[in-house]
Amino acid sequence: LNAAPRRAPRQQVRFLPTPAPSGGGALELVPTMVPVLAEHPLVQGPRFRRLKIGAGHRLDVKASGVFVLGIGHGNKLLTDLYNCHLTKVYTVGGLFGKATDDFSDTGKLIEKTTFDHITREKLERILAVIQGTNHKALLMYSNVDMQTQEAYELAVKGLIRPMDKSPPIITAIRCLQFALPEFQLEIHCLHETQQYLRKIVHEIGLELKSSAVCTQVRRTRDGVFTLDDALPRTQWDLRSIQDAIRNCRLKVETEIEKTL
Amino acid sequence: AMAGVLRALRAARPLHRRGLGRAAGPPSTRQLREAEEAAPVFQYAGKAARRKDRVFVWGFSYSGALGVPSFVKPDAGWKKPRRIQTTPYRLETEEKISSAACGYGFTLLASNTTDITKVWGMGLNKDSQLGFQRSRRDQTKGYEYVLEPSPIPLPLEKPQQTRVLQVSCGRAHSLVLTDSEGVFTMGNNSYGQCGRKVIEDEIYSESHLIHQLKEFDSRVVQVVCGQDHSLFRTKKGSVYACGWGADGQTGLGHYNITSVPTKLRGDIAGVNIIQVSSYGDCCLAVSDEGDVFGWGNSEYLQLASVTETTQVNVPRHLPFKIGKVKEAACGGSGNAVLTEEGNIFVWGYGILGKGPNLIETAVPEMIPPSLFGWSDFNSDICVAHIRCGLSQFAALTNRGELFVWGKNLRGCLGTGRMEDQYFPWRVTVPGEVVDVACGVDHMVSLVKSF
Repeated sequence: LNAAPRRAPRQQVRFLPTPAPSGGGALELVPTMVPVLAEHPLVQGPRFRRLKIGAGHRLDVKASGVFVLGIGHGNKLLTDLYNCHLTKVYTVGGLFGKATDDFSDTGKLIEKTTFDHITREKLERILAVIQGTNHKALLMYSNVDMQTQEAYELAVKGLIRPMDKSPPIITAIRCLQFALPEFQLEIHCLHETQQYLRKIVHEIGLELKSSAVCTQVRRTRDGVFTLDDALPRTQWDLRSIQDAIRNCRLKVETEIEKTL
Repeated sequence: AMAGVLRALRAARPLHRRGLGRAAGPPSTRQLREAEEAAPVFQYAGKAARRKDRVFVWGFSYSGALGVPSFVKPDAGWKKPRRIQTTPYRLETEEKISSAACGYGFTLLASNTTDITKVWGMGLNKDSQLGFQRSRRDQTKGYEYVLEPSPIPLPLEKPQQTRVLQVSCGRAHSLVLTDSEGVFTMGNNSYGQCGRKVIEDEIYSESHLIHQLKEFDSRVVQVVCGQDHSLFRTKKGSVYACGWGADGQTGLGHYNITSVPTKLRGDIAGVNIIQVSSYGDCCLAVSDEGDVFGWGNSEYLQLASVTETTQVNVPRHLPFKIGKVKEAACGGSGNAVLTEEGNIFVWGYGILGKGPNLIETAVPEMIPPSLFGWSDFNSDICVAHIRCGLSQFAALTNRGELFVWGKNLRGCLGTGRMEDQYFPWRVTVPGEVVDVACGVDHMVSLVKSF
């Protein structure tokens, strides 16, 4: 960043003494434009000494995926994005047959169970129930009076969601892959933590009269930022970051305007 | 030098260990893996694990209609009488219940078994709508309030072969449909709704009389009770009616009482009717081609699309352009139909389900499917059944979820709150809801566990 070309220094008018053209030893004051010395690179030093970087929604050590960062002015936009309360999408992988203490496959084993009786149909039934109860929680925590017409209209459009602090709510959940003992779910949620998602996997296992652990949690979307906008490790350089910021700026502005 | 070597040897020799001493420290990966593989495997779901059938009830309990005696008369010191059960409560039944019906303060549960006891009833019994329930204190008297599901003895010719297909309850009478012995009616007959001649000054309480109806043009496949009238639908697609007719709900062309089931004519003559519905004083019928016919009370604009009068005593075709209708449900002042695509259309008066602004409409309005859980994510969710109480509606989706809306009279919606519900709201039931029966102030649902 510091190697990038700088703005040209300001020019100022100074009256400099130059020898008179007419000869003799007299000095004349001639107005000339000279660069201001205070803006010389050697005087000022590197343009950026520190960068303010803020982080968006937390991501666990064991999880992976899209992680939003804000640089400089973007930190203020981060708070605005947090107040928009947009949903995040995770791909959660699970394994039937084991139960551990921290609900992931690296924890201490507590119990092993059979899982041959589980079918995709049973799993989808449980997912439908989870979605139903969470939909109810969505309406209840949104603090909208159910007896009003606007509550009805928001419910029809599906725009009711809690705009304040609330417990974790799952807005949509579905099964992407099912191959005993492994399965993969796509979860859209609000105000959650990755440990909560692992707990949900464990509870799904319990509901199906077996047990399950979570093998993978990957965030595929965080509000308006999807996997396509995210930069992988190989692209953590200045050019890609600048391109990414430019691409996302419009999306972020429209989203904030729409909600707030 | 020799002594130094001996001392070194003694130190090098390992200390004598008693038992199984092992070096302490965190277990290595190999030890963890071996411990895991050696762990026992538990089995929670055996080979014979089946989904069980359950019955859930909720609503006003003091009439005994919920079938839980401890709500009305607590059997333990710490229990308090529960006037209203606002969320679904599991009712233990001896047999698998295949059909349930809610009347005005009483409930009937029926099972299609070939055992002797096929029908159970609970709730109000002041007009013997639950048959004669002999009191245990006084053998000559009967119970006026039945607090738990009690068997109703039906006078069957072949009790171990006949099966009960369906039950239906009205304000003070009930109908039981069997597969081979016709229809049994019991309860109040002051308007001929039981299908027998009206006897002046007949006392209906503690009556042993259960009337049997067999004379129809073909086998009866559905029985429906309105408030004080009864409708019978036969296999051939014709509809019979008897009972009170002051609002034209018998559909026989007059406003008098009918005490013998008579066939309906009008616009449904010759039409194959596949479903009839009624709960108050208005009736709806659906034909196999998806047309809707209505007759009866129209004070709440239920039939205003065809007539300006407030009573219609002949079935009239309702020309709605909403697509092919699969099922209809008629409430006290509001009606709802379910189309083939799985959409619900409502019209009439009251809380119709489209917010507090829609109080009455004569033309059916669709309830947006997104309120039932439909979205781009789950685009295959649609409504499978629609049921009506007096001022409530209940819809069952194909995923087994129950949505209710309407007036929350004494907690009958089951949402856990006491406020009225102006748009469809999910009821949390621990299981897949197979059927629901709505009454005036209570509801019964038949649920399959997961």
